[in-house]
Amino acid sequence: MLDLLVIGAGLTGLFAAYTAARAGLRVRVIARGAGSTHWHAGTIDLLGYLPNGQDAVANWAQALPELPPAHPYRLLGVHAIAQALDEFQRLAAAAGLPYGRAGAATAIDPTTSNPKAERLSQRDGPAEQFDDLNLGQNAGLVSPVGAARPVYLAPAAQQAGILEDDRPLLIVGLDGMPDFYPALIAENLQRQGRPARSASLPLDQLTERCDHGPLHLARLLDRPAAQSKLTEMVVDVAAAGERVGLPAVLGLHDHARLLKKIHRALVTKDPKTSQSQDPHGSVAAVFEIPTLPPSVPGLRLETALRARLDRLGVRVEIGMEACGFHAAGRRIEWIETETGSRPLRHTARNYLLATGGVLGGGIYADRRGRVKETVFDLPLTAPQTRTQWLRPLFLDKRGHPIFQAGVPVDRLFRPLDQSGAPVYDNLQAAGAILAHTDPIRERSREGIAVSTGYAAANAVVHGR
Amino acid sequence: MPAASLNSVGLSLNDCIKCNVCTSYCPVSQVTDSFPGPKYAAPQSERFRDFGHPFYADGAGPISRTLAAGQMPDASVDYCSGCRVCNEVCPTGVRIAEINARARARIVEARGLSLRNRILGRNELLGRIGSFAPGLANLLLHNPLSRRLAAALFGVAEKAPLPRWRHETLSRWLARTRAQRLRSEQKVVYFHGCATQYYEPFVGIAAILVLEHLGYEVIVPPQNCCGLPMLSNGEFGAAESHHRRNVARLTEFVDAGYPVIGTSTSCTLTLKEEAPELLDLENDAGTRALKFATWDIFEWLRERLDQGRLPSDLRPLHQSDQPFILPYHAPCQLRAHRIGKPALELLARIPGLDLRESHARCCGIAGTYGYKTEKYQIAMDVGAELFDYVAAQSPQSDQDSEGSLSFTACDSETCRWQLEHGTGLPSRHPIELLAAAYGLYDLHARRQANRN
Repeated sequence: MLDLLVIGAGLTGLFAAYTAARAGLRVRVIARGAGSTHWHAGTIDLLGYLPNGQDAVANWAQALPELPPAHPYRLLGVHAIAQALDEFQRLAAAAGLPYGRAGAATAIDPTTSNPKAERLSQRDGPAEQFDDLNLGQNAGLVSPVGAARPVYLAPAAQQAGILEDDRPLLIVGLDGMPDFYPALIAENLQRQGRPARSASLPLDQLTERCDHGPLHLARLLDRPAAQSKLTEMVVDVAAAGERVGLPAVLGLHDHARLLKKIHRALVTKDPKTSQSQDPHGSVAAVFEIPTLPPSVPGLRLETALRARLDRLGVRVEIGMEACGFHAAGRRIEWIETETGSRPLRHTARNYLLATGGVLGGGIYADRRGRVKETVFDLPLTAPQTRTQWLRPLFLDKRGHPIFQAGVPVDRLFRPLDQSGAPVYDNLQAAGAILAHTDPIRERSREGIAVSTGYAAANAVVHGR
Repeated sequence: MPAASLNSVGLSLNDCIKCNVCTSYCPVSQVTDSFPGPKYAAPQSERFRDFGHPFYADGAGPISRTLAAGQMPDASVDYCSGCRVCNEVCPTGVRIAEINARARARIVEARGLSLRNRILGRNELLGRIGSFAPGLANLLLHNPLSRRLAAALFGVAEKAPLPRWRHETLSRWLARTRAQRLRSEQKVVYFHGCATQYYEPFVGIAAILVLEHLGYEVIVPPQNCCGLPMLSNGEFGAAESHHRRNVARLTEFVDAGYPVIGTSTSCTLTLKEEAPELLDLENDAGTRALKFATWDIFEWLRERLDQGRLPSDLRPLHQSDQPFILPYHAPCQLRAHRIGKPALELLARIPGLDLRESHARCCGIAGTYGYKTEKYQIAMDVGAELFDYVAAQSPQSDQDSEGSLSFTACDSETCRWQLEHGTGLPSRHPIELLAAAYGLYDLHARRQANRN
């Protein structure tokens, strides 16, 4: 029998499954559709904005006390969150997709081997987060419209896009690529006082295809010939000393090679390109800016997670929509998913609900104002009537009450009923489905996913 | 979950949140500009095709209303292979492939069906004609000149992997071996499908031998094509009459409570879901009863396994002490059942088997799609992901791997033919492997094992 059935294949579900499988549990993941990693910018955002906060959070670890007491981060505390991030960094580094604190120079240069990433990839490496004097320090990265995104961990490919860096920026677009506008990005950067300009490269020299979606381009740029051609074109348009921002399409499986290629070519052209005032010295001359979905950095992260799960013998089955369950007392005995014919029964000792919020499909709200958790019909913290869902202003700083609706949990991440007692003893919930957080507005999606997924999986591991 | 209305295909487009996950996974739009991708072709375009929607007041069925000029679905929808990977990954349950299938049917209704597509939809008829004189039929079809002619005259791709007629169909084998067949109180019905009847009777033989080994009497009633090739080519009227005939022929067994078990994943999917849904037969009592009685053979075997009722006398597939490497590809049509990959759970019980699960999305062939001249290369480009995966499993290309790679496994017939075409390795239905592991079947010669 399975020790743990994870429902949901987003970052929360996959990372929780990894955590439990690494501890020796027999785990399987089922999900209605592919996880929302396809929408992720690929960074791990911990906490960008506080409720009612005007300015971006500079240090999330220091800002935690300002969150409401029931917020998942408050249930966890800084120490537990940092532990989860360490584990995430280890996994990512081992999968060849190293992540570092945005703005920490060690992880930036793609041309040199990265001692931090290597140390992290070893099983019992030191707890990096705790060694880091700047624990919790966010940095601003360039968004797809040229605004600042408050980010905590970033993949190596995005590190040189940090706004605090004083090198002038060249934003390079690709003609005909939808939803990426280099002139707009550069203009918005200038408004924020950053030296920036834009350029656009013709795609007809790279491909005869007409469809220039991010994923098509990324697959194209996995090919050595296309990599060489793009490098040549980028170096042609870059001026001395500029760092180059490109849409995050520089390869699905082989982007590190292309980044390195462009970096070297730029540095060869002008050695100053890789110098900044940063005391750590040499930094990358090129970086990726996330695009609208499908998001290639998110897909890379998903691919890395799925590959690790595959090696641990964890099967991920997509296309399975929960349609029923059976509980005896406070134990869930099985859940059922719909098929082309009769329902399919899934039995496990423990269940972890990681189906996401309204957007991910974990919570369903109908037009009559009824709000429902979609698998176990768990109690939700949701406004009583539909008129209370939304505030009058779309961009209200406080967010909208419906998006804070979710499953309330205890410190072991067990869903609670109205009296505050666990609904089931063998059910945990994690990720965007949790109550008392609004991950999109807080810019905490991936932080909530990684830290609560890790904690909920560990609660199962230790509770055995 | 929101209550799904019956006939929810068209309405499901309202659930699209434009997340592009389907576009990321679509294997066809990845390799060609001819198909703009599932999101554009289905939920977005469907909004502009406001005719025949079941939701519309006059209650006209989805394909029965006359098409008005300018409302014709864009011809690019014909480049959807119908693999259903989009449905699988869609996080909100939009019936993308079905929306496309209905759009194709509208085009066919307005513009007629090409002779080529009519022929490709008549798999059963071709099978029956050829098996009158299989030797002659194979000779006529399988020579370079006639393949070139077929390509030039009809647009049937010259290199696409066409099957061969067998001298003994499954029905004839059953008639010949009638005396040896098991009689038992426990009975199941076997739905073989056309390909097993005419081209691969050995798959049916393997299935029957395994079912009998479990102690079940296997009833093989008269049956006809499930209608899927016609559904794929937009010929809904003919598909409906085929489906209704099957329902009529199988009713007495379904009513008696016997499971209807199939080895062809696309036939069983059609009985379970495609015919009821696409043909608006979800409220037809016979169709519904058959839908709930139908099983993929490994789905049914997995239940026996879970109940501890599966014989455990499985032995290694070959004598050597080297592991037997077996790349297994769960075809799209099986994944569309949403039953997981039950064959993996059964095959994992075979000693000495190094079972490897392919995560490739599609082999490309998608039923009759890869047989069309204009789509052959697309199908091969789509399949490259799978062919490369298989090649990487060979001990020659993987230093860490030990053993021998001599077969691939896949549950669907046309996918096996495409796999053989793309990899050069023979491909087997997992039931053939299971039958061989029970000592009932010769995996190489594809026939019943000699009992000593």
